[in-house]
Amino acid sequence: MPRADVVVIGAGLAGLSCAAELAERGARVLLAAKGMATTHWTHGGLDVAGIPGAATPRAGVEALRSNTLHPYAKLASDVGPAVAAHLRRTDAEGLPHAGDLDASLRPMPTAIGTLRPAAIVPAAQAPALAPWNGDGLLLVGIEHYRDAWAPWAARNLASALWPDGAPREVRGITVDLPWLDRLHNLNATVLARLFDDPVWRERTLGAIAQAVPAGSWRIGLPAALGLERHREVHADAEAALGHPCFEVPSLPPSVPGMRLFEALRRRIIGAGGRIHLGFEVVQVERDEQRVHAIHTHAGARTLRLLGDAFVLATGGLAGTGFRGRRDGTVEERIFGLHVTAPPHRAWFSDDPLQPHPLEAAGIETDDALRPPELENVRVIGSALAGMHYLSERCGDGVALASAYRVAAELGGTARAAA
Amino acid sequence: MTFHDAATRDFAPFSTDQCIKCTVCTTVCPVSRVTDAFPGPKYVGPQAQRFRGPTVMEASPDVTVDWCSGCGYCTRSCPTGVRIAETNSRARAAMVVRRGSGLRNRLISDTDLLIRLGVPVAPLANFGLRNRLLRWIGEKLVGVHRRGPLSPFARRTFRSWWKRERRPLDLPPGADPHRTVIYFHGCAVNGFEPDLGRQAVEVLERNGFTVISPDQGCCGLPFISNGLYDHARRKARRNVESFAELARAGVRIVGTSTSCTYAMKAEYHEMLDLDDADAHAVARATWDICELLVDLHDRGELDTSFGPMHEAVPYHPPCQLKSHGIGTPAMDLFSLIPGFRATDSDHDCCGAAGTYGLKVEKWQIAQDVGAPLFAKVRAAVADGSRRAVCDSETCRWQIEQSSGVDTVHPITVLADAYRRGDEAAREPWRRVV
Repeated sequence: MPRADVVVIGAGLAGLSCAAELAERGARVLLAAKGMATTHWTHGGLDVAGIPGAATPRAGVEALRSNTLHPYAKLASDVGPAVAAHLRRTDAEGLPHAGDLDASLRPMPTAIGTLRPAAIVPAAQAPALAPWNGDGLLLVGIEHYRDAWAPWAARNLASALWPDGAPREVRGITVDLPWLDRLHNLNATVLARLFDDPVWRERTLGAIAQAVPAGSWRIGLPAALGLERHREVHADAEAALGHPCFEVPSLPPSVPGMRLFEALRRRIIGAGGRIHLGFEVVQVERDEQRVHAIHTHAGARTLRLLGDAFVLATGGLAGTGFRGRRDGTVEERIFGLHVTAPPHRAWFSDDPLQPHPLEAAGIETDDALRPPELENVRVIGSALAGMHYLSERCGDGVALASAYRVAAELGGTARAAA
Repeated sequence: MTFHDAATRDFAPFSTDQCIKCTVCTTVCPVSRVTDAFPGPKYVGPQAQRFRGPTVMEASPDVTVDWCSGCGYCTRSCPTGVRIAETNSRARAAMVVRRGSGLRNRLISDTDLLIRLGVPVAPLANFGLRNRLLRWIGEKLVGVHRRGPLSPFARRTFRSWWKRERRPLDLPPGADPHRTVIYFHGCAVNGFEPDLGRQAVEVLERNGFTVISPDQGCCGLPFISNGLYDHARRKARRNVESFAELARAGVRIVGTSTSCTYAMKAEYHEMLDLDDADAHAVARATWDICELLVDLHDRGELDTSFGPMHEAVPYHPPCQLKSHGIGTPAMDLFSLIPGFRATDSDHDCCGAAGTYGLKVEKWQIAQDVGAPLFAKVRAAVADGSRRAVCDSETCRWQIEQSSGVDTVHPITVLADAYRRGDEAAREPWRRVV
């Protein structure tokens, strides 16, 4: 295996973005990951800083950076260029987004009928964010598709507290498509692939159009409007239904997340980078300060991957980058880096709806995102200490900004060396 | 490594405990992409595993696991380390123990037998393979699809050529075991593509290896794929017994079929539970030929006197190669050939999956899985390519039959490039343009 300038470990938003940025800057980059990561579990938009009281993501970043322990305290200046690079990259790969750091954080309806603050979303989710101005919200479910219960979500949304103006009316309908009766397996991926087929699409959109009541609506459809021909499907949906349409992400597999993964994957390969999935790191060659190589599982042997620098993008506990041990400590799995975590007794709480204390567990680094133990390792994404990526809705912003900072530093040296 | 990690690695079904039901595996499954008959790896794997009782040999209540082609994308994509494909393979084996296996699956798995029967009467057998009426009868009687990709038999086996040439069956006296390799020809080279075997030997010898070929038989993979684990174990045992001592002495086992080598490297252990020291020695010593050559190159020892080849080819890395976890060594080698340009197919699976694409009930699925690949290969030919490249034999035959484009092993390309290099060295005045 040819030596890489940078080996990125992990295929979530942080790892993918870092590898893409590095490859675009001309570095020889290899991304190795145990498997897919969180892109397939999330809504496909960017949560940069969706905290209560912030009007825009930029304002949210400003508020979070005042906490000196938060990753944004180091990374605030990278958020702007990182988000801009991400939007440019996804747009170039045919996955345009709406919004930016200065867009208003607006209430986005979810598949269970709650509202989450969002500002930067894939274009196919954008119609949900514009002020309602008298439009009604119509949620459409599909009979036999079990991951979007439109009438139930609509009931919840009708009683939700819409911060700046609710829709005229919220209604949920379920459309019965007899041509789905014979299918045994209908998840979002299957539905998205069916929508890619123009014949199936026309027939299905025609049936949905018949069920749309009179009036001016914005229509929320299951987030399954095609994979390979997504933009075409979205445009066809709006044309056939005669109203603005948006996707409502639901349970995994997340089709918007799959599109995001695919766009970044194409970008990395197109820029000359390499991606290998199924490469689980099982051994590290290192001395006191530096990592020389990592070994990944390869049948009865291991594969030795050499690099000048190693970027750890394996996530925290949820991403399986960390592991909790019985003695109450948290361990970083690959390099054994020190993880700052709350004491064992604080791992348990009586209220499952409160932010979990372990969310903030992570690795403390210097400004270059270097852990104290190893000088040629960088830590990016949700493995960083000090953030509550769920309750602060900052996971994507931290992922992008940390990936950008590291790529700008390491990619810069690669170019200088070449 | 914790106990849990070790247990997971040693016994795939234990790993299903780590499933968080995220469904990533189902998004990458090539089979459930094209057919509703297969509910996807999550459902037949981690979900159904809960109903399989305390021992793995208890069959699942869900027989749809048989639609799994064993490509392994699920395992390689799982974020939490569940060995899904391996679990499913064991579930199929349990089902076969309980329900038995039809004649067809036993027959198409027994490649040693097919070669013994077919090669001596190759002209006749090949007439039968080409004859539409006979193939139709074969489909109705046996269940092998009339358009299933079957390669014609060779006129004589690779082994008989090897013996006639009096080539070494064992470590020659005085040979350095570390510079000696066992060539594992596998059934494909032995009975169908002996030329590829000769090219492989030529490339290995050119790079300073003494090539030997001790007694060997089918690796057992076709039996594993068909859930016939007992048969597979017998095949595996024979190879292990024949190779173990040499492997321990430092001789490496090199194959041109990524699926045979992966079976020996990983599946003897992961599926067949061959866990003795001999089996481990053989597993650790087993190499894919391109992997070995890249390793040689990394050490600066590969003969790189490749002549220029002004050619562009589509290259398809087989699923089994991806399971090796070694990247795409053929692509690394191609980059050493002046003028040669290979493009990764960037497509998951050709559909054949060994014997899967031969079966009458699965042939259409296999075709649908591979269709985008066949289209890419045909498009490359329209752009001026004259052949495609792929490491595994059944994938090659599938691509060749379904796209109509000649498909060769990477070693064939390397052997060509060496020949060009030799010609250029002999006739330096003749510039190859």
